[in-house]
Amino acid sequence: MSRHFPALLFLIPLFAAISMPVVCLKHRGWSRPIALGALSAMVGVSILNLSNIIENGEIRYAFSGWASPIGIEWVADVLASLILVALSLLGLLALIFAGPTAPKDLGGRIVHFYTLILLLISSLTGIVFAGDLFNLFVFLEVAALASYALVGVSGGKALFAAFRYLILGTLGASLYLLGVSYFYAASGTLNMADIAERLPHLLTSKAVVGGLLFMFIGLGIKMALVPFHAWLPDAYSYAPESVSPILASLVTKVALLGWVRIIYWVIGAKVIMNEIPILLLVGVFGSLAAVIGAVLALTQTNLKRMFAYGGISHIGIILIGISQGNATGFVGGVFYLLNDAVMQAALFFLAGMAICHYGVRTVEDFGRVGRQAPWLTGSLVIISLGMIGLPPTGGFFGKWYIILGALEAKNYLAVGAILLSTLLTLAYFVKLFDRIFRDNSSSSDALNHEPPLQFKWCLGLTSAAIMLLGLFSDPIVSLLLTQALPPGL
Amino acid sequence: MDDVLTAVLQRHNFLTFVIIFLWGFYIMLTRYNLVKKLVGMYLVQTSVIFFLVTISAKRGATAPILLSTTAPIDPSAYANPLPHVLTLTAIVVGVATLGVALALCSAIYQTYGSLDEEEILKKLE
Repeated sequence: MSRHFPALLFLIPLFAAISMPVVCLKHRGWSRPIALGALSAMVGVSILNLSNIIENGEIRYAFSGWASPIGIEWVADVLASLILVALSLLGLLALIFAGPTAPKDLGGRIVHFYTLILLLISSLTGIVFAGDLFNLFVFLEVAALASYALVGVSGGKALFAAFRYLILGTLGASLYLLGVSYFYAASGTLNMADIAERLPHLLTSKAVVGGLLFMFIGLGIKMALVPFHAWLPDAYSYAPESVSPILASLVTKVALLGWVRIIYWVIGAKVIMNEIPILLLVGVFGSLAAVIGAVLALTQTNLKRMFAYGGISHIGIILIGISQGNATGFVGGVFYLLNDAVMQAALFFLAGMAICHYGVRTVEDFGRVGRQAPWLTGSLVIISLGMIGLPPTGGFFGKWYIILGALEAKNYLAVGAILLSTLLTLAYFVKLFDRIFRDNSSSSDALNHEPPLQFKWCLGLTSAAIMLLGLFSDPIVSLLLTQALPPGL
Repeated sequence: MDDVLTAVLQRHNFLTFVIIFLWGFYIMLTRYNLVKKLVGMYLVQTSVIFFLVTISAKRGATAPILLSTTAPIDPSAYANPLPHVLTLTAIVVGVATLGVALALCSAIYQTYGSLDEEEILKKLE
């Protein structure tokens, strides 16, 4: 049974998504219990799957029994299973958060919303597990289609943002597919492990280097790396409040994980450090993203846009960690990816609560209600500690290992970029706190009723997770160091 | 210079791919009408599919169905089926994307009464 957990993890949300429009045709109210049930089952199975894989080693799942180079293969190793636990937990929290907000945002489209969310989660599962380059492309596109529709589902301003997202996202997918066909032309196979085996004989081929570059640009658009990030702030800030937490915390990070798979598991650590200097390129783009994203965040006046740019700068920090070419930097990058997923979810829960419950959209207005909203301000303190990277939180340990890795690789420019981006992050949170604590206007009467229980739960749990990831950073990092490192690192 | 030129002209299939890709990309960048942008996007997708077909085409090859199980197999007589299957999947993905894009376009037209990017941006402010 435990051998089939990876396929089960994909099939649970997929079946729930497919059956939802049929089952909920007459009973619209059933959509929420079905979605919550499916995601809770997924959380359970993903935890069982992780403990099974830590004990018994990775599972290579061959669909319909067709063995690997011919059939489609999924690789469930410690890295994928760990990310999947985070993915299903954050998906469940995002659904809980959507309870009070979704009816307000979406009205009659509530069934569409739950169907698309489940479809998005199942395709993200596919990206995390994919062991085949073309399979990765298909799941990237399914995830992207679900996100375009989710951004546009409430209509209004979001429609145009969704259209731009679609145009850029499709361009990225086409470039990725072009890269895949270069790889296929050079190696004659699409299975990641198979390409990795054949690649050492193909390094003189320009098709491999060209294909790798096209894949980088394509996935760079998907993960909103800095020169290609233009779609993200509009899409995330105009998206309905129930949608933006799950998009911000998961979609870009999972695309980044796909890129990590390609450079470390397909191309291989030895090749990228000695033959093809792709890590240098990734590191430079990462440093630029870390600094430019934070500068742009500092200039924003809209709350959601500020957080969206914060997410862009953190993608850069993760890439810096990945690109150091040593175990410390790699583990730091992956650990920071987990932290960033939690922090982005928390930030957009916070923004969603500010908009839905307090009717506040800008930094200016946020200061006005901040003092009268203890849940908002309390969780903002914890999240900002994590985003800046101060000791008791997971963000600190992620940055710490990334900086250690960069020092080990004697890459002082990357260290400088992280420190600069940390200072800028501090600056935009100080801007927020300044508004809250300097504002002396008397409380308005609209603030007296309590926020809904679901908001408190979501904010409380994500803030607790930011702290817990810091307190338990040692076991997680040592697990990653011993069991999740790519071969040859 | 001559070497480069002959190298390019000998690979006329790649040249065609590059032209279609850049043509689509140019349309996506320069047109303000959203549906025209979609035409450009579809050209880009089609060019990549064309590239996949062109690297797998073989002169004189046929579908990979063995007519006799005893005769020795000649690989040059059969076309590689895998890129064609990939092409089929890529076409399906492209059609799904176009469907979502057209649905968005029609919703944008109903909301803003226009498909022109500049007019929509004016109304957004």
